[in-house]
Amino acid sequence: MRSQSSPVIETTGLVKKFGRTTALGGLDLAVEPAEVHGFLGPNGAGKSTTLRILLGLIRPTAGSASVFGLDPWADPAKAHRDIAYVPGDVSLWPNLSGGEVFDLLTGLRGGAQERLLRELIEEFEFDPRRKSRTYSKGNRQKAALIAAFARPARLYLLDEPSAGLDPVMDSVFRRQIRRVAGEGATVLLSSHVLSEVEQLCDRITIIRTGVAVETGTLAELRHLTRTRFRITTVAEPVALATLPGVHDVRSDGTGTEFDADASELGSVLEGIAAAGVTTVTAAPPSLEELFLRHYSDRNGRI
Amino acid sequence: MRGVLPLALFQARNDRWLLPVWILAIGVLSFATAAAVAGQFGAERDRAAIIAVSAVNPAFLFLRGLPDGTGTGAVAFFGGYAFTAVLAGLMSTFLVTRHTRTDEELGRAELVGAAPLSRSAPLLATLLLGLAANTAVALSVAAAFLAAGLPVPGAVVAGAAVGAVGVFFVAVAAAAAQMLPSGRAANGAAAGLVGAAYLLRGVGDALGTPAADLLHVTPAWPSLLSPIGWGQRSRPFVAADPMPLLVPVAAAAILAAVVLLVRNRRDLGASLLPQRVGRARAGVGGTSFLGLAFRLQRATLIGWCVGAAAIGAVAGGLGPLASEAVAGNASLQDLIGRLLPGARAAMLDLFITAMLGIAGVLAAAAGIQTVLRLRAEEVEGRAELLLAVPVSRDRWLNANLVMAVGSVLAVTSTAGAAAAVAVGLSGAGNGPAAELLPAALAHVPAAAVFLALTAVAFAATPRLAIPLGWGFLAAGLLLGEFGDLLGLPVWLQDLSPFRHSSAMPVEPFDPGGALAMTVIAVAGAGLAAYLIRQRDLTA
Repeated sequence: MRSQSSPVIETTGLVKKFGRTTALGGLDLAVEPAEVHGFLGPNGAGKSTTLRILLGLIRPTAGSASVFGLDPWADPAKAHRDIAYVPGDVSLWPNLSGGEVFDLLTGLRGGAQERLLRELIEEFEFDPRRKSRTYSKGNRQKAALIAAFARPARLYLLDEPSAGLDPVMDSVFRRQIRRVAGEGATVLLSSHVLSEVEQLCDRITIIRTGVAVETGTLAELRHLTRTRFRITTVAEPVALATLPGVHDVRSDGTGTEFDADASELGSVLEGIAAAGVTTVTAAPPSLEELFLRHYSDRNGRI
Repeated sequence: MRGVLPLALFQARNDRWLLPVWILAIGVLSFATAAAVAGQFGAERDRAAIIAVSAVNPAFLFLRGLPDGTGTGAVAFFGGYAFTAVLAGLMSTFLVTRHTRTDEELGRAELVGAAPLSRSAPLLATLLLGLAANTAVALSVAAAFLAAGLPVPGAVVAGAAVGAVGVFFVAVAAAAAQMLPSGRAANGAAAGLVGAAYLLRGVGDALGTPAADLLHVTPAWPSLLSPIGWGQRSRPFVAADPMPLLVPVAAAAILAAVVLLVRNRRDLGASLLPQRVGRARAGVGGTSFLGLAFRLQRATLIGWCVGAAAIGAVAGGLGPLASEAVAGNASLQDLIGRLLPGARAAMLDLFITAMLGIAGVLAAAAGIQTVLRLRAEEVEGRAELLLAVPVSRDRWLNANLVMAVGSVLAVTSTAGAAAAVAVGLSGAGNGPAAELLPAALAHVPAAAVFLALTAVAFAATPRLAIPLGWGFLAAGLLLGEFGDLLGLPVWLQDLSPFRHSSAMPVEPFDPGGALAMTVIAVAGAGLAAYLIRQRDLTA
């Protein structure tokens, strides 16, 4: 028996090699029940490889993966019972209509909820009668999303699901994520669209070259990072750069910008107060910055 | 036109492994045929005998072509030309479709189309590549015949006769690619026309009139509707007359010009057969692997069945005509009686048996194609979507195998039924026409072996599945149907599953062979189902 708190997805030291290339170099990932977990990383970081291992489509070279406490490679059919999946690069049967694709994919999972399917088709403004050959990238993406959401699942594995969606469809997609999360489902959402993850996810794992470099709630990750200040002062804040924990001081005609370490915030605030502050804005770092920090290599490239 | 040459070189680079294999294979087959004729029928008397037997046997005429004298080269050309011409036609078909409609379908043409080139430049490049490839085929065949010690003019004209058919189908495939919406459909239509060219030539030759000395046959008019028929008219080792080859080449040039015009006026992605609206919901069975396999293969299977029906109809309809022609000629009957003791009465049966054998090969090909769908699904990423459902991978494989066996059954029974109906209508035949249905079905176990082998190849070495699947069929054909001609040892010939099918109605049904083939097929399917669980999904 599994306890309520055992993770839905758990990988330890997951390694996957394709010949001489290492796609995953010891990935640890834990996704708790009923959370929306962001799986963030640049192209080629190993996100899709991880999802394929979690589906038992490919076998890990080393390490272990479990989904609902089951080894997905050993018994994929059983592990898939409560999974809905949207691949990163959706390819459909050119000769089948969208409607036929829905019925096929949901039918293999036990059948769609008719009302849900109709609502999804309507919300995504999808024409199910056209042959898949004629669908654009965005429409193929919609088709895969509709097929995934049209039958309730306990786990949704979504590989960059909003790629190719326009902003209106993107908001429909977010609404669906919130709906399934509200119903208690677990979602693993791989993405490099940062705003999406910021808005949707409870916890985040950042992966880079096949290794998880950071994991935690958004708040926890921000805790590790710097706050961005923008101030205008009466006197020139000459001594600012000498304060411990202050980085990247930039002044222009209207004010000064700098980043401050969370651990040194107290002394930084005292320091700027001394300069006679007239306005101050302090913002948490955007995920963008977290992302750049983790993915920039020595040369600052992503 | 600007950019055409770089595009052609780029396309050639994409084909740098594939085309040499085709070109070499056609050359090797030509050499093997010529060497076998020289080896087995070294004496003029032997060649005269084989030619005379062939001249009065419509099955031989249909399958091989026109006997034309007793020279080694002439006999080799008679024995091998129709097959090499078909191979050149298929090579050209796949070459053209690959670089035209398939590129368009997969969006690659859009990428190239954005370059500052004329709209028809990529198509022109493909046509040039096709021309170059068939020139290479012609040289390869000529070199093969020269290596076998045949005279220069004959070897060159024989090579040109093969290349000319290839060139004709370059233009035909380019036309199909303009008209049909998918690469698959274009390939199917153009390959079907290659089959039709073989069939028309076969009908014309089988209905031909043997000369009094039985060393030549004058074909009937249907041969002239086929580029392969025109190729035969060049009579390389008798007259070495390249003029008839101008007919298919000129036809190709005119067709190619029209096709280029069409391409210049056509939207990217547009086709003559428009994309129809599909159904909003899946039909019966549309929610299972088997239903999907059927849905995906349905249109193609209809195409295979049409081909099988044509073969069956030719077997049943043409055989009686030809055997009547022989029956009305006392001296012919006498000669056949001397050459083939006991064969006179069975002339019709011999013909039908040979044709049903071809239907068996066709059935195996239809089945192999169904199994190889799996690989296309995997490569094109749909397997990933499909296998994320709670149904196991071996069920996916098995559903496609069931569909493949269903295809084999459909193709063989269509051929058998068509033959039975044709024989029944013509009122000929040496036994009840209904027996032709089981006679056709006798080829199912051997075909099933090919499906199982292809499935094992797909499960064990996915990247090689497609060449291996078709390679098994080619090897089976070579060993089984050409093994005698090539003088291969019996044990090697016996490796071909086709050798273990009962050649009904000439031979009685052999339950032992059928059972052995069935056991091998089932074991292979089991092995494939085991292996498919052991590997990663690979693109």
